[in-house]
Amino acid sequence: MTTSSQPMIDQWYPVALASQLPPEGRATQLMGAPIVVLPGEPIRVVAGGGRDLPVTVRYGHVWTSLGEPSKELFDIPEADQPGRRLVEVGVVRVRCSPLRAVENFLDIAHFPFVHTDILGAEPHTEVGKYDVEIREEEDEVWATKVQFYQPQAAKSATGGITTDYMYRVPAPTSSVLYKTCPARPGDWDVITLFVQPLTEELCDVWPWMALFDDETPTTDLIHFQQMIFLQDRSILENQIPRLLPLDPGREIPTRADLTSVAYRRWLKRHLFTYGAQLVAQ
Amino acid sequence: MILYDYILSPDAYKVRLMAALAGVKLDLRAVDVHPGREHESEPLRALNPAGSIPILIDGDLILTESAAMLVYLARLAAPEWLGDGDAAGGARIQQWLSFSPRLTDHLGGARATEMLAEPGDLPALQQAGIIDLRQLEAALIERRIEGQCFLAADRPTVADIACFPYAALAPDGGVSLDPYPSIRLWMRAIRMLPGFIEMPGIHRLHELKPEPLSTETPETV
Amino acid sequence: MPVELHRDWIPVALSADLPAATVVPAHTPSGILALWRSESGKLTALADRCPHRGMRLSYGFVRGEALSCIYHGWSYGRTGQCQRIPAHPDLTPPAAIKAASYATEERNGVIWIAQNEPQEPPPTLDGFKPLRSMPLAVDADRLSPTGEVRTEFAGIDMLLLIVATGNGEAVAHIMIAASASKDDCVAASRAAEGWRRDCERLALEDRAS
Repeated sequence: MTTSSQPMIDQWYPVALASQLPPEGRATQLMGAPIVVLPGEPIRVVAGGGRDLPVTVRYGHVWTSLGEPSKELFDIPEADQPGRRLVEVGVVRVRCSPLRAVENFLDIAHFPFVHTDILGAEPHTEVGKYDVEIREEEDEVWATKVQFYQPQAAKSATGGITTDYMYRVPAPTSSVLYKTCPARPGDWDVITLFVQPLTEELCDVWPWMALFDDETPTTDLIHFQQMIFLQDRSILENQIPRLLPLDPGREIPTRADLTSVAYRRWLKRHLFTYGAQLVAQ
Repeated sequence: MILYDYILSPDAYKVRLMAALAGVKLDLRAVDVHPGREHESEPLRALNPAGSIPILIDGDLILTESAAMLVYLARLAAPEWLGDGDAAGGARIQQWLSFSPRLTDHLGGARATEMLAEPGDLPALQQAGIIDLRQLEAALIERRIEGQCFLAADRPTVADIACFPYAALAPDGGVSLDPYPSIRLWMRAIRMLPGFIEMPGIHRLHELKPEPLSTETPETV
Repeated sequence: MPVELHRDWIPVALSADLPAATVVPAHTPSGILALWRSESGKLTALADRCPHRGMRLSYGFVRGEALSCIYHGWSYGRTGQCQRIPAHPDLTPPAAIKAASYATEERNGVIWIAQNEPQEPPPTLDGFKPLRSMPLAVDADRLSPTGEVRTEFAGIDMLLLIVATGNGEAVAHIMIAASASKDDCVAASRAAEGWRRDCERLALEDRAS
């Protein structure tokens, strides 16, 4: 591991579903280091040499860190809101930088081409102006007032609607999405992407949801989210280079990409560069 | 007709695809295969002791092998998908129906290992998958020499549907389709069929729709 | 007369494998290109990377006379210049958004891409017609130092155009005698499978010893 990845070492990362730990534990890796997630009370995460790592169990997942996190895991207040269904989607492995996986999650312009007739459809391809900021107090990236026309925005949606979105990046490999809730207009559904960096070019992705939806069977909710993410996966595995380029000349953004621009700037500012390419090659 | 289904299962997709092409309506029951492993639960084992997905139920009939489901749907609603019945053509269809589980084992095994982090010997599965793809490519080249583009007849049959999903999703398991021009053209021909449906990992052929027209005069950056 | 292959031209695909309105990944010794044929039949080779987010353009789609990226639908014309950004339908894309393009030639059913700046057109390969392209897990240099192999498959004259594609792999674009019948073509294609097995076995044995 390079020294430049140091600031990311002190972050929390998801490494397992707490409810799905096999008796022998889950052997996996975190930023190149082999670790084992062991079931029990409490759940333990053990690194090479038998070293116990810090553990937090939150949002259905086991979180750990190779370093010394200076803060608690970021808060998602909606997770504790009564009436929401918490949905564990499981793990999908992707051969890409963990940062590319997050950046794709923040993008809406690909919906008509990658999630065709579900999250988007031609000719409704235009991305209107929206607001992006790095909130200094929380030290998070936020995009608000994002709108997009969607043929089937959620499993519970029955027709095309213009969906409102907000995006939040509270940690370098985690993102929280708030979107129009078809069942309860005025409320937001919460969909997250928690990414476990296995290496700089390989990650395990753990989507998770907190929804207002009393109708749809849980399995259908899981499958809807798996379908969406698997449509993204074939894109993510074919971006060149695999690492996320932070050199501004390497990839060309437009106004629709302002969230990505802010995310990259925020990563660079904090030297969150595990999975990034600093200088074009 | 009830199909116990999983959105990410290429074997279940074969059945959904065949039903869509044949115009058969299926009553889909989503099974929480990943992460729930519901296919291994007792209620589903009672239908299919092997614990695999898909399962097709029509009255008293319980089918647990996707190739049998394809033949059943075709016989019921679209017999032209079973070929024209001559000995060589019929045998060719059987050949590919019997071949298709190799794709499931090898390319499907690589996919489950690489994508869903299931245990498996990834390099060995990928290597075996490449041998399967080469056999498919060689067969399709011979068909093209004869002026045909489908596997077993002068039109698509259940043989094509049995082999298409795992071949098309080979990249999910880290096996590139770049080196197989005939497989790529064959996949394209299947994806262009009227009534074709997709599954995650197989994108829409956007070229089948014209580009939307811009309505206003261009601005500059 | 032996065919002298011009090193300035790399054979990358057979015409029959690239119908109108399709795109393929073309493997060359220096990387992959997105090789596409427009609806009206014109050939173009572009760098296989969308300048927007690095997505491989060979995964894209061809509409009319443009190639579009599958990720966000950005479309590129034959010069590689971006023509349209669907997220901003009314925007004229800046000139800086451009994929590098490479000269192509199509002769006798074979598509060639220029490396450098060729003074002469690629060879015509008179007396042969294309049969198939075949990948091999063998170093190109092992197969032929000159980039071509003349041999017989099933007693029929063959000409193999060998291209290194990196990672110790190669592609053989296989040409067969122009007079070959359909049956000859099938027999030669089957023999080519055996030739590949031999080549790969020998390469493995060499590596082991």
